[in-house]
Amino acid sequence: MDYDLTRVDYILCGITYPDTLKILPNPGHKTQQKFTIGDKNGVLQCLCIKDEEPIIQFKTLPGKSITSVQVALTNGNYIDKIFAASGNEVKGYTRKGKVFLAIETSVSETITSMCILGSDLILCSGCTVTHYRDLREMYSYICEDRVLDIAAFATPNSTRVRVLVLIANKGAVIIENGELLARTQISSGPLRLAVPPTHRSAEVCVFYGAANGSIGLIQYDLFHRTDLSSKCLVEDRGLGSVVCVGWYFSNNGAHLAVGRHDGSVQLYLVDLDNITEQPRLKYTYFCGEPVTSVCGGCVGTDESELLVSTFSGRVFALRSQRLITGSVSFNNMTPDALASRRNKLELEVARLEKQTANEREKYQRNTRSLQAGLSTPPLLDIQYELKEAVLNGWQEVVITAGVPLDMLFIYCNKQLDVQTDSAAVLSICPPQGQTKEMLATVRCQAGTRRIWLQMCGRPGRSAMEMAESTQVLIYVLPTSAPRVARLIKFVLPALPQYSLYEDPDSVNNRVWCELRVSGGFSVAEMTSWLSEALPGDLPRPAANISFARSHSFLKTVLLCRYQRGSAVFKSDNITTIAILKDVLANCSMKRGIRVDMSCDIPQVNCSMLFKNLKSDFVSEYQRSKDRILEKAIGALDLDVNIVNNASEPTLCEEYQRIMKSSVEDTESKLRFDDLVATVEQWYMDFCKLSLYGRDYNSQRLRLKAALQNCQVEEVENILTNNNNSQIDMEY
Amino acid sequence: MQTSSVQPVFKLELNHKVTPSVVTIAKYDGTHPCLTASAGYDKIIIHHPYGEIASGRAQRSHAHGEVSELNVSQAVIALAAGPLKPDSSRDMLLIGSPSQILAYDVHDNSDLFFKEAPDGVNILITGIFGKYHEMLAIVGGNSSVQGLNWEGNEVFWNVVSGKVCSMITFDFDKDGENELLIGCDDSYIRVLKNNQFILELAETGPVTCLSPITEVRFAYGLANGTIGIYEEGLRLWRVKSKQSAIALQWSGESLACAWANGRLDWRDGSSGRVLRRVQMRAGAAAMLLADYRSVGTPDLICVSDRGEVLGYPPYHENVGFNATSKKLPSEEDRLAITELLNKKQALMVELQHYEANAANAGLDPDDRPATGMPTNTRLQVAVSPDENEGCLGLAISTNNETIVRAALVLAEGIFETGETLARHPPLHLLRSILHAPLKPPRDVPVDVHIKALVGYVDSEQYHIFELTKHLPRFSMYTLAPPTLVKNKTDSYVTFRITERIQRICIWINQNFLLEHEVEIENENTKDLYISFLCLRDRSHLDMSFAADGNVKLTTSDIGLAGDLIQSLATYLNLSDLQVR
Repeated sequence: MDYDLTRVDYILCGITYPDTLKILPNPGHKTQQKFTIGDKNGVLQCLCIKDEEPIIQFKTLPGKSITSVQVALTNGNYIDKIFAASGNEVKGYTRKGKVFLAIETSVSETITSMCILGSDLILCSGCTVTHYRDLREMYSYICEDRVLDIAAFATPNSTRVRVLVLIANKGAVIIENGELLARTQISSGPLRLAVPPTHRSAEVCVFYGAANGSIGLIQYDLFHRTDLSSKCLVEDRGLGSVVCVGWYFSNNGAHLAVGRHDGSVQLYLVDLDNITEQPRLKYTYFCGEPVTSVCGGCVGTDESELLVSTFSGRVFALRSQRLITGSVSFNNMTPDALASRRNKLELEVARLEKQTANEREKYQRNTRSLQAGLSTPPLLDIQYELKEAVLNGWQEVVITAGVPLDMLFIYCNKQLDVQTDSAAVLSICPPQGQTKEMLATVRCQAGTRRIWLQMCGRPGRSAMEMAESTQVLIYVLPTSAPRVARLIKFVLPALPQYSLYEDPDSVNNRVWCELRVSGGFSVAEMTSWLSEALPGDLPRPAANISFARSHSFLKTVLLCRYQRGSAVFKSDNITTIAILKDVLANCSMKRGIRVDMSCDIPQVNCSMLFKNLKSDFVSEYQRSKDRILEKAIGALDLDVNIVNNASEPTLCEEYQRIMKSSVEDTESKLRFDDLVATVEQWYMDFCKLSLYGRDYNSQRLRLKAALQNCQVEEVENILTNNNNSQIDMEY
Repeated sequence: MQTSSVQPVFKLELNHKVTPSVVTIAKYDGTHPCLTASAGYDKIIIHHPYGEIASGRAQRSHAHGEVSELNVSQAVIALAAGPLKPDSSRDMLLIGSPSQILAYDVHDNSDLFFKEAPDGVNILITGIFGKYHEMLAIVGGNSSVQGLNWEGNEVFWNVVSGKVCSMITFDFDKDGENELLIGCDDSYIRVLKNNQFILELAETGPVTCLSPITEVRFAYGLANGTIGIYEEGLRLWRVKSKQSAIALQWSGESLACAWANGRLDWRDGSSGRVLRRVQMRAGAAAMLLADYRSVGTPDLICVSDRGEVLGYPPYHENVGFNATSKKLPSEEDRLAITELLNKKQALMVELQHYEANAANAGLDPDDRPATGMPTNTRLQVAVSPDENEGCLGLAISTNNETIVRAALVLAEGIFETGETLARHPPLHLLRSILHAPLKPPRDVPVDVHIKALVGYVDSEQYHIFELTKHLPRFSMYTLAPPTLVKNKTDSYVTFRITERIQRICIWINQNFLLEHEVEIENENTKDLYISFLCLRDRSHLDMSFAADGNVKLTTSDIGLAGDLIQSLATYLNLSDLQVR
């Protein structure tokens, strides 16, 4: 760690949404800056810090949840204004807390982010981007999916404003005057944007933080009007998804500050003159709960510090150690100031303890009374997110709570494998009765506010089971009073690995299996049926929908095109089509809608599929063999020093290579057994969909044996021979 | 709690792998401690930073200048060291291989003794025990413990029911003489005094570590990841982790624990709260206390399985690890403020809940929101034997129309998988009563914690009711119905006690789960005959307490007979009982 920063706690507020903490720009020569924060209770407050003691400048009354806060300055006058969005309203406040602007916009959904540039106000809500100039609506642009974040750029010599929009489903577009200029797909899934502080206006250039934890850059050349291009600068490295990004300046230069869902805050040093350079990681801090905003400024002292807000409403600064231990006089602070702040807090906590004890007593008295009142504690503040499947098919759920958690109780109507955080104790319960259910409990460590669970359906399930949706219920039990457990429900999709988004027009050169569905269904119904099969967000219902996804591990593609009454699904993976067929049949039956389905399976499908997989398959086979050898060598318990002795080798070269490779890749990502099962499943589905009722069991056993011994030619023979025999049958 | 940046006071690499738990520290010359460890199958390494060991069998290692290697041509299972020789303060090294024990004087390069161990060797310690005044080598085998003096002669021997996993000598009953505490893989900590077991502490997994703390306290660790502290035979606290503890040591004013994954933590002795935490680069192999720096106080010496050795001085909470890094008062204030804000936040959330609750109180009960529940809802729990299912039936019910959506039963050691039993009935079977079966596999008293989620069928949020139910030791035995056929087993134990029958009744009521307490009809009754049925296998247990003090327990299970006698004797405070 290059920097040594220390946490200094400032205030508590309600639950916060991403990007609702802002530092006000400097007015004139006064050096210490103020900051403003809006929370879920609808309270917007503006504070300054004196001797580490927060002093409230103004504070609004509670109201609708504040979902976005921006500060803007009317150029030239140094008048800074605070804009807070809640619901479909935007309110503008002066530094003194006076409302100078309040508009109720015509947008139908909650405003999730906004941008202010001079007299232009650009709002995102749901799928739309709405542009207001001088409070008059200029245009409204409807994107194909939810809008995540925007960045606005003034165009040189013109009053037009260009807007870079991040759209769910991994798209990014540039809009000018309500017209699309350029678009791109970024597979890492950008969530948040940060405009470099000194960007050249001829170029649109923005840093993004993505869902998979990576950081990158989106660029667009205004003059040449080339394509929107993106570049990944920092790979994910297992860090959590990005919730917020901001800037922090110190003597060392400009830093991109990144706040993540896993509770970490990073500072990356960025060379602003050469922004395509890889940012260098300088500092990491873990605060234990999702970080909702990060921004840098001179809040507590004359020197810059990083201000952080968290999901549950903590606001604290990360300040250079030098400013803290150096001397108290550095920030003109008396040592008594801290002690008095501590005393004040102690008194307040004591008072609260008393008050809480009174209320608790009152509550408990109620439970003993004969006259039954109604106990209705409000819903616990819990957020959860089901993520798309990663490489090996595990799907992750992240649960975030405003209060510390005690236990989770998981119920699933099917057999399920579960993993969780190493700090929590997972215990699978004995089954209740004979049904194929799964019950488990997770006991959390003290103070846990964020916990992840990974879930994976058991392989080798029957087609019937695959077609039924997997419903998971999680009961979240907090540690503290009042004792209530919140229920979370979700459905695990049948094809969790189709999580990568593709451009439907650019996937070609594949041997497609086709599934055609027709019947009396609407687009919305088809969307809801598909949501049982596919992970992530699906495109919103429209007249005509077409999208493509690819398998995160096998790289096969699924193309979906549907409209009212008819749908076509294409995939080069036959198993995918088979599962999808079962899911759709099941869903339509449940709704009582009659649909006709027909499949078109090319004869070379299986062999083509295997051809694509062959190199992976062989290398994976080799690796699995290596692992067996490695185990055997490990069992010998050889002395590391003798093994590594280059002059007198004790092991043959082959074995030395294995020993070395085992150090390098301890966890191989692809599993050989999975591949064998996948190919076998292809064959079975092929037989099922194309050769009705033919006995294929002996062939299947032959195939399995060939696969396990990696007899590639034999496998190819079986897969192709079978096709020949099918031709025979047809003629 | 974050992994803190505590720096060790010394750090060295042995350049050898270290077998976990086969490590000791000994003063072979009587003054300088040397770390001694097993480095693979039959190799022992000795680290001697204070100068070479004289010579002999130990050879200088190629990998490290200050390490000597000793090959013993047999697998090394256990190591221990201590000043066995009565006339010398030098430590002797004890090497345990699967079937024999070698005592070796490293300094003189001579064998002290060599002893066959027909029962196997699992663990070796040295210590003063009981009335023996010399230092003994104590061997824990697969089903026995054995004490050897410095000449290799057996001074005591006893049978232990289970593999011995850990041992310490400890003055358990504070009589000035050490007892032997034995941790076994059948989940008991046994106390051996004068060659008799005076107490068994039932635990929930194989007992892998034991460590003395003060005169009255000792720490224990189980294979399932539980660690805890006993004070005078009562458990003060315990915590459970996913990892298993390799070693526990009392250092400074806190309990240090080394976990298998290489995490080290320092915990508050009275609560188990983590004070400090450090992560080693590899899995932990051992943690010992020794004055390795010759500064006068023992440091905590942590050894990883890759051969890294880290030394930490005793930890004191308010000072930190060393006086130089003493926190500035302002820093302390800041930490306190963070902590106070944490507390404030928790209180505010609770308060908000009550406030919102009060705001909703005026609502009409018929039009209830998704989270509601009548305030006077109560939860009742009953345990009754279920003969048909062969288990104890746990019935959880509410007193009104609310339903029990789910129930979690937490208890250790009574479920085949994990630590919980859950019931989550399908929607059409939701009632205001819910049943769950309990089957304690062994006869130990168990506390079961029950969490029930109560609400309505369509609730989004449920109220949690928590209860703890105590199951007595012999809860799996129920009163046999009088119509039952006579017991046919002819195996029994008899003994004689002189105790009023009323006291026996109290013992039965305390240790069996009975619907109606056993009562004596009148004062003159002097005998009692009672018959039980085991829920596990429907076997019979008859107990007859005759007027002349003769007691006859008829059962085909000798373990059960032993448990009954043990329990009865403990209850009646008998130290000696002749049983046939």
